[in-house]
Amino acid sequence: MASADMPMERTMFVRKATGLVKGWSVFDAFIYSAFAINLMALGFGYAFTGVAVIPTGGLIAAIVLSGLFIIFEVLVYASMIAVMPRAGGDYVWQSRVFGGGIGFVLAATGWWFILWHWVPIYANILILEVIQPILNVLGYNGTDTFHAAWWNPIHGTGIFIASILTAVIATVVVSAGMSWYARFQKWCFYGAMVGLVFMIAVFLLHSKADFITAFNNQTDIYGTHAANAYQGTVGAADKADLSFQGYGSAPLRATFLLIPFMLFFNLWPNWGATLYGEVRGASDFRKNIYAMGGALLFTTVVVLITFAAMAHAMGFNFYGVLSSEYWAAFTSPTYWFPYPGMLAAMFFSNGLIQVVLLLLLSLWFFGWADSLFLSSTRMIFAAAFDRILPEWATKVDDRTHVPIGALALMLLPSIPISYLYAYNSKFYSYTLDATVVIAITYFGTTLAAIVLPWRKPEIYRASPISKYELAGIPLVTLAGVVFGGFLAFCIYKWFTDDVYGVNHSSSLRYMLILYGVAIGIYIASRVVRRREGIDLARINSEIPVE
Amino acid sequence: MRVFFATDIHGSETCWRKFLNSGTHYEADVMILGGDMTGKALVPVVHDGGERWHGTLQEQRRDLAGEDAVAAFEQDVIRRGYYPFRTTPDELAELESDSKRLDDLFHKEMLGTVERWMSMAAEKLAGHKQRVFVCPGNDDQFEVDDILAAASRVELAEGRVVEVGDYQMASTGWSNVTPWNTYREEPEDVLLERIRGVTQRLTNPPERVIFNLHCPPYASGLDDAPGLNEDMTPKHGGHAPEPVGSKAVRTAIEETKPALALHGHIHEARGHARIGSTLCINPGSAYEQGELLGALIELNGKKVKSFVLTSG
Repeated sequence: MASADMPMERTMFVRKATGLVKGWSVFDAFIYSAFAINLMALGFGYAFTGVAVIPTGGLIAAIVLSGLFIIFEVLVYASMIAVMPRAGGDYVWQSRVFGGGIGFVLAATGWWFILWHWVPIYANILILEVIQPILNVLGYNGTDTFHAAWWNPIHGTGIFIASILTAVIATVVVSAGMSWYARFQKWCFYGAMVGLVFMIAVFLLHSKADFITAFNNQTDIYGTHAANAYQGTVGAADKADLSFQGYGSAPLRATFLLIPFMLFFNLWPNWGATLYGEVRGASDFRKNIYAMGGALLFTTVVVLITFAAMAHAMGFNFYGVLSSEYWAAFTSPTYWFPYPGMLAAMFFSNGLIQVVLLLLLSLWFFGWADSLFLSSTRMIFAAAFDRILPEWATKVDDRTHVPIGALALMLLPSIPISYLYAYNSKFYSYTLDATVVIAITYFGTTLAAIVLPWRKPEIYRASPISKYELAGIPLVTLAGVVFGGFLAFCIYKWFTDDVYGVNHSSSLRYMLILYGVAIGIYIASRVVRRREGIDLARINSEIPVE
Repeated sequence: MRVFFATDIHGSETCWRKFLNSGTHYEADVMILGGDMTGKALVPVVHDGGERWHGTLQEQRRDLAGEDAVAAFEQDVIRRGYYPFRTTPDELAELESDSKRLDDLFHKEMLGTVERWMSMAAEKLAGHKQRVFVCPGNDDQFEVDDILAAASRVELAEGRVVEVGDYQMASTGWSNVTPWNTYREEPEDVLLERIRGVTQRLTNPPERVIFNLHCPPYASGLDDAPGLNEDMTPKHGGHAPEPVGSKAVRTAIEETKPALALHGHIHEARGHARIGSTLCINPGSAYEQGELLGALIELNGKKVKSFVLTSG
């Protein structure tokens, strides 16, 4: 071991050669991951409201517990990036370990088809957390066209327009390129954090009595015109016999049942995995863990602080009440989406301050929504380079350098799907599969990680992670077993428990259709390529070394 | 005619061995290795006295006891594309302060490895019918050309127009200027003249011409590398690629309109693209993982009949 006065021994001499760069900034990658597990858009936008469905579960405990399991996801993905640092992520890893068919089917469904369905989901959050709150504080709070209540977050022209806006934003970002987006995202992060600190401070600086007064006043302003709305809402919840666990309460079974909801929020620290190119070694493995794991830790802690601040101002129980009211678990004199930004804005009577706060917090949406198509285009490129998709999928416009082929494959289907979401009453329930399908893709990568040391021993041994073992078992395998077990539990619950809303027979059929389309594309491409003299099975076949 | 193309193996012996076997594996008629075949790093294996040695690979120190352990460690280093050398703590300290000696050691190890690889090629490919072309790249010093030119089973492609079946292949491993001041790089206008100097010797019509130019064309998508800050750290966590290819290469492709253009140089930018009627391919590189990324291309004398990128 080197002592303080002993010079560090040189372990490698590097000559002048292309591509030798210094280490990348963990902070930059951290921002990308922190936006991917977006506490405002995904957490408060949907996941945390799951407490309405399982009120006996400990919400805070579910956030922490799920975060602990997601650490193993971070380990799995950091390992796979270190072993095969290639753009295309899940698709490349699964194809290499299991073969191109499995890789394509799981990646196409999880990174391509299902993201069409995320367009209206993003739009739903855009309405609930940006459009409606800002219109409300500006006084456009009626049901007239383009007023707050007109923007229904699930059905109608409002959600369709918001979906188109979301798709256009995502398209513009892919067209502008990652370099521009990375700068934009960084500024969004700073602004969003200022908004978050502002919001937390507002909660901490006010008492529960202040909140009740503000809630009653503002509820009246925003169109529900219910006198004593706070007392009315709490009374209605009591009458419905609704009660929620306290901040620190953690009844194990019910808390575990809440966890599948939490995955909507924190399953995605690996969202940048499809973007990785060449990395350098063990230090990059650790940096990936620091970036993804740091984002997970940071976000989890910030969520806990936010809830503590909210509990201080309005009582922790009231968040559950508002969530239940939103999900129509009881009849209430008010109708509120429990968006903390709006709940904080209510403390102000000055419209300008309200708008500034809401605009700052809207950066959580705008810094995040832009990445909707980015990873998908990487997956589409990787599959097209393997000739599974037609060559035009990789077409880049000569003048603008926009990947028009991949963008078309993302943007064009998302429009009719958004239309169905907006105007077909059944279609909304199909999109509840959005998390499940991606989780199944991650499950495929997790299985690949578990067997990697045996399926691809040469590649594994050559990687910087091969030295990490516990009791002789590779770390990547152990991490994969834990995360795989966790995912299996969540997938099982999604499929078997009604509360998650995805085990409808129609929903299952819809999912199967998505997988069927992917299988169909793969089979068709094998047939077409064989006629052209290309054997797709050869793409990933190992060349003998000796 | 079936062509297998790989590139940028950067001293990885695993990749070189796979390349030698690729002709049989993919039933290719011609095997082409693009530039940058030499490694980027020397790894000291330090003698601690007696049977004890130590070395560090991928930031993991390994204490080695006995010759077998040292040899196994050296093989791990070689597989990753680096050059191991045995030394003592005193020699290591001297090496740190003597750049001339370090350069000499690099040359010795790199050129020695290329010579050994050529012997390996002669042995492995004896009795096989495939033609094998190698064209050094901007990271390869000039002495590599002499070793390739003298090899019995490998043909040097640099600066030449060679007949490949019904096709003519024009090659150069030179690139536009990089931040690393490598061996074979020059300003765009000089590079364009260099490429034109080769392509003017072509006599085939464009549909029977192959370009084997190490550097990819500018803004083709085959040249997207992580953008760098002034201190050589990747911008935005490495998430923001920028085009770094050659405008001269792009101009040359637009002027000659070859059927096929083979490139490397940017390891992350695996893919294919069209510039006019030319199919441009950069199979990328994963040499550190011991994966030989490549491209298998079927030419029928009139056009590129089919192609696929491989991970072998």
